[in-house]
Order: sequence, then structure tokens, then C-alpha cells
Amino acid sequence: MVFNSYTFVIFFALLLALHYAPLPWKIKKINLLWASYLFYALWNPPFILLLWLSTVVDFYMAKLISEQENHLRRKFYLAVSLVLNLGMLSYFKYGNFLLENFTMLASAAGIDFHAPKADIILPVGISFYTFVTLSYTIDVYRKKFLPEKSFLDFALFVTYFPHLVAGPIVRPENLLPQFKTPQQATREQFTWGLFLLTLGLFMKVVVADGWVAETSDFIFGLPFPVNPLDAWTAVFAFSAQIFSDFAGYSICAIGVSLCLGITLPDNFLYPYASIGLSDFWRRWHITLSTWLRDYLYIPLGGNKHGKARTYLNLMITMLLGGLWHGASWNFVLWGFLHGLYLCVERLFRKPGLGNDNLPTPKTFKNFILALLTFLLVSFTWVFFRATTFKGAMLLILCLVGVIQEGPKMLSTIDIYKVWLVTIGLIGWHWYMREKTLKDVTSKLPWWLFGLVWAKLLILIVLSQKSSGSFIYFQF
Amino acid sequence: MQTSPYIKAGLLALGLVTVFTLAWELFWRCQGFAISYNDDESLWANNRKKIYDSSPARPVIIGSSRIKFDLDLDTWQNITGEKPIQLSLEGTTPRPILIDIANDTAFKGTLIVGVTEALFFQPSPSFFETQANKRLAFYPHWSISSQISFQVNKVLESTFVFLQENTFALNALLKRLPIKSREGVFVPPNFPLKFTYNRLDGQTYMTPDFVKDTAMQAEVKGVWTKLVLKNPRLTAPEGDAKTKIIESVKECVDKIRNRGGQVVFVREPSSGPYHEFENKLFPRELFWDELLKKTETQGIYYSDYTELAQFTCLDWSHLRPKDATVFTQNLIPILEQKTGWKIRK
Repeated sequence: MVFNSYTFVIFFALLLALHYAPLPWKIKKINLLWASYLFYALWNPPFILLLWLSTVVDFYMAKLISEQENHLRRKFYLAVSLVLNLGMLSYFKYGNFLLENFTMLASAAGIDFHAPKADIILPVGISFYTFVTLSYTIDVYRKKFLPEKSFLDFALFVTYFPHLVAGPIVRPENLLPQFKTPQQATREQFTWGLFLLTLGLFMKVVVADGWVAETSDFIFGLPFPVNPLDAWTAVFAFSAQIFSDFAGYSICAIGVSLCLGITLPDNFLYPYASIGLSDFWRRWHITLSTWLRDYLYIPLGGNKHGKARTYLNLMITMLLGGLWHGASWNFVLWGFLHGLYLCVERLFRKPGLGNDNLPTPKTFKNFILALLTFLLVSFTWVFFRATTFKGAMLLILCLVGVIQEGPKMLSTIDIYKVWLVTIGLIGWHWYMREKTLKDVTSKLPWWLFGLVWAKLLILIVLSQKSSGSFIYFQF
Repeated sequence: MQTSPYIKAGLLALGLVTVFTLAWELFWRCQGFAISYNDDESLWANNRKKIYDSSPARPVIIGSSRIKFDLDLDTWQNITGEKPIQLSLEGTTPRPILIDIANDTAFKGTLIVGVTEALFFQPSPSFFETQANKRLAFYPHWSISSQISFQVNKVLESTFVFLQENTFALNALLKRLPIKSREGVFVPPNFPLKFTYNRLDGQTYMTPDFVKDTAMQAEVKGVWTKLVLKNPRLTAPEGDAKTKIIESVKECVDKIRNRGGQVVFVREPSSGPYHEFENKLFPRELFWDELLKKTETQGIYYSDYTELAQFTCLDWSHLRPKDATVFTQNLIPILEQKTGWKIRK
């Protein structure tokens, strides 16, 4: 089920009725759990078995890890959890990719090997819930906290529908404590949750699907080079699309959850106003960046073993981060480029320039740096969006002007739409760079806030796009 | 107790959006628009799932827009007692759908294939396959959730006139802005807003206003002139390309027949310059006749029968609803006689 569907409207209305009915908290949690399974099963019911398997195994492995003092046994139980979760992820997500590359290598070595391509369907959200459960067993292994005693609470932590299929990637400490006491939104929280749901839907339905997706899909789908203006327009269209689609989903998830009285962590902080790439990764898909930092970069040694090792760790983290997004060399290359940018930035970094958690002055120079960061990020999205390496290179040759004679493909109105959205997005992110939405809206008179909210709703009604899948579901 | 500013803002937004929605609906209704359904992936999938109990009285129909206009499903149902399953798509070659049905081993029924040569004989891959491919990619992943949404949508689209994505959605309206496009960029011309309506069963028909309004008809003729008659990119396949197309159709027809299914081709009427263009670019003996000969399949070419050739298409390409009724009434006995199928009740 997707948030931008009529099915969700019915589902959510019924769930709210149950959640605010005078029932014991345990019954409400059971309701939330069943609702979450239903939310997931309405895509493809059999995949619920994988979710159950992951939940049951991680719950008991964590328990066994905590009960054991023997290091080897603790490691063994952790390994069971890792093998199961990463094994499922590898089979469903990377099975065909590994097979293709093995066949290619064998062929390069002169071995005639032809394996039939397996017809594997990727279970929705597997990359997300795998990371959620992994963080739990790893943290129990590290003795960061004791294992959860209640199976109900643990199953709900893994399966809770707002975060289940596309994040935010929650940590046990974010969610499990909230299940211990009855949660109900205050009237203000509930209204704010509905506003966030509206904003998320506006970003997905109006901006991503309505204004920019068509242009991006059209140009990225062409098998021939295009005019440089068309190429840049398509790249900016995709930059706007991926942000509005993914951040839109996260905002919907946070809003929906808040209506139930449960808070989820922020996942985006106006990333297109980032000054530099490390600033970008502190603002883009924050829950993934922090997961990779805590469970990959730091265990690899982080920056504690000298410069060369730091750069190597950064590259490994970003390469695997790229691969997490999809089973294709294009994603690996996308991760590699981001790793490279981070290394170069680290090499030339001056303290205090978008690299610390301190506010950065909004000077003209910083604005130009933010624009350059946006350009670099957008340019790199080409590898993320193009379906083949050849397609990505062709578009890049158009972007840098090596191929100039490609035909003009986009109409004036399509170009206007994309450039207006891009300028609007950069302006909005720059304005909001050090602010929060709550701060800004709380300073508005209620009627003006109401007008803004109404405008978002009207544009959603006018766009008439529903049920379009979110890009990050495929990851 | 003081109401929070957020709650007041929410109530204001709710009030405004309700007023706007009602006003928007009233605005289009006052201009004479009526209910029409989005001919989208879900609607197609909803019809696609019904193909397994087809029969000569309840055939599956694939083709382009002509057969969606010209074959009147209600008239067919009145005569046969069954409603055909309409899977045709506007501006689209039916060949990808033919391949899909041929590869579906559970289909052993009756298939009527509408042939509009300029679309049917486009070599693959082409732009004219886009809509078919979108639906074919969507259908296997039509989740339970999407099916529930489709049912809710059905109710909403039966209630609100403005819920027609290709006509009244923001994007569709923006495309109608009089902004001159860049030189050298092909921008598809807009059809008049009141050209057609769609029904849930896949029937498309001209609106009563369109049937009356010669200016709107001229507008659509202008669209055909730009899109088809004077489109330098629209060419007829020759040599190997043509042979490959016909061979692929034969392969599909044979697959269906070998399972006990049956196929027939139908060429619907066209008029005026469109008709002349088709005759010139796709001469009957080189395309239609060869298609029937190579696939060893029966076909009905409208001009061979006075009962089917008596119509003039208002827009050169499609029949008005009144003519579609007569065309369908006349087509059924011809189909029975040509194929030996028992269609009438």
C-alpha cells in the first residue's frame, strides 16, 4: 500500500478509529501490528513470511546473545542473524547481479558458463527492514542495551508500517521505548501530523509525479543523445524528483506516525542547500548515513587509523552505500563518486565550512558553494537514474557539451516547469537551511498557515495523480 | 478552552479545499462536461483479468482507438447477451497485447483484432507501443492495494466530472497554455476537451457536443493532419521489416489457434483525406491482404460490405455513437457468416 492511494485513506481512517478507541494499550499495539502486516501484505502477501522469519530469528538470536558469556557463542548467534538477514538481501536483491557478473568473469576466463536467469522478485522494503533488524542484534551484541523482552513490542518495532518499506531507518532506541507506555497524539500533534502528511503528498503527487517525473523519464529513456539544455533540464528534473519523492515519503511516514502519537526521526534536512558533500550526507537520507557510519564506517576504524585508512574506509562505506541502493554497477559508480568527493573534500577542508554541526553564515560565498554542491550532486545523479552505463555516459557527454548536436526534445512548457521547480527548491532549501518547519509555521498567523495548507491540498486535488509508486520502494 | 492555531489553520484549509473542489466541479459541469473515466493502467488491468472466459459471443477486442469507438459494446450485448472485453488502446498498435495474449497459455478464447494500418504495421520498438507496454508492465504487479484503490476511484470518478486526468488535471491544463515551443521540438497537438468520453467497460464515444459542432470536428481533423497525414516520421514498413511484423503476428495467431482459440481481423471505416492517406501509404493488397494470407486468418474489411461502408467519419477516423450502433448490428451477422461462429443468442 502506498500513502498516495485511496486504499491508504480507508486503512488509515479505520486504524485511527481503533487507535483512539477506549482499548488497553496492548490491544492497540496488536492492532498496529496487524495493520502493519496488512499494509505490507496488500502488495504481495507471500513476502510477509520473510518479514516474520527475520523478526523471529532476530528476536531469539538477540536473546541468546545476551544470555551468553562465551564470546564464541555470542559471535555464532550474531553470525546466524547476519547470515540470515544479509543472505536474504543478497539472494533477492543481488542474486541475478552476482550471477551475471560471475557469467561475465567466467566468459572472460574462457569458460563457457550459462546459468539461467532466476525469476526473482524483490520483496518491497527488504533493504530497509534488514537494516532495522541488523542494528538491533548488533547493538545487543555490543551490549548497548538489553534485548527486548516483549515479542509484541519487537515485532511492532520491525514491522511498524510508517517506516517499514522506505524508512526512515529506525533504531531500537528510537522506537522501542515509545511502545512501553500508551501513546496518543495531542490535538496539536495530530493536526501537525496531518499537515506533514499533506506536505509529503504534495511533494510526491504534485512536484515529483506531476511536474518533473515526465521530463526526467522521457530524456533518460531516450537511446540517443540530446541537446545540452534538454540534458541539464532532465538532470535537474531528476534531482527534484528523487528529493520530492523520497523526502515526501519520509515526511508522510513521520506525519502518519505522529497522528498515532509515535515520533519517527527526521530523514532529510534541506539537502540542496548543503555546503559541501559531507554536509550533504548529514542532510540527505540521514537515517541511512548514520546507519552506515555507526555499523560500517566506525567498525572499519573510521578516522582513527591514519589518513590513508580513513580515505579507504570512506570509499568502502560509500561503495557499499551505493550498492545498497541497487544491484547495478551504476549504483556502485555513484557511490564511488560520492566517496571520492568526500575524500577530496576532507583533503582540502577548512574547519567551519559546512562541515561542523555549527550554523553556517548565509553569505553570498556560501550560497555559491551550495550551488556548486547542488550541481555536483545533480551531475552524479545521472549514474543513479540511467538504466545502463552507456546511457549515463551518453547523457554526461551531452551535459559537458562534448555532444552538442543532439536534437531538442523538450517543449518550452516542460523546461519552464523543471527550472521553476529547481529554482524554487534551491531557494526554499537555502531559506530553511538552519530552520525547522515547525519554527517557520509557528511564526505565521493561523489564517496564513491555513491558506498555505489549503493551497497544498488544492494542488494535490488538481494533480489527480494517485497510486504512483515511490522510487525508493525498488531499493 | 482556546483552540490551537494549528487546529484553526487545519479547519480553514479543510473548508477552503472543500469549497474549491465543489466550485471546480460546478465550473466544469456548467460548461456541459459529463462523467468520463480515466482510461488508465488500472482500468485496462480490470478488463485484462476477464479474458479467460471469452467466447465468440464475448470476444476479447484488441486494436487502436477506432475499434473502441466503432464497436458499440451495449449494442453487441443486446444482440448476443454478452459484453465483449475491450482491451484496445488509443494511438497504440495492438501487437504487444497480441503477443501477451498469445503467450498466456490460459487464454483459449476468441479474439477480434482491429487493424488501423498506420499503427498496426509500425516496426517494434516504436513510440506507438508505449501505452501498451506500460499496461503490460503494470498488469502483473497490480497489487491488492491498487485493486482496492481502483474500486474507490470508480466511485469517485462516477461522482466527479473533474476527475479526468488527461483532461482536467493540472498537467493537462498546463499543456494547453498558448506558449510557443522551441523550434524543432515536436509538440503533440491538443484534442478539443469535448472530443470523447470513456466508459468503465473500455468503450470510447464522441460527446454529443462534438457530434454537433463542426468547428470541433475541424479541430480534430487538424490534429490528424499534423499527427498522421503530414508526419514525415510516419512511414510504412518495407521488405524485411514488414515480413518480420507479419511473421510475428502469424506466430501469435498460431499459438492461440493451437490452444483452441480463434482470431479474426477487422478493418473499420475511415473517411476523407485520412482514408486516402491510408490507401496510399498502406495499399490494401500489400498490407491487409498479405496479413490475412500469411496468417491464414479470416478478416472483415469494411468496404467489402455495403452494410459497413455506409458511414462517414465526422473526424475522418471514428464513427459517431449512432453510427457505431448500426455498424455493430451489421458487423455481427457478417462475423458469423465469415467465421462460422455462433454469436447471436
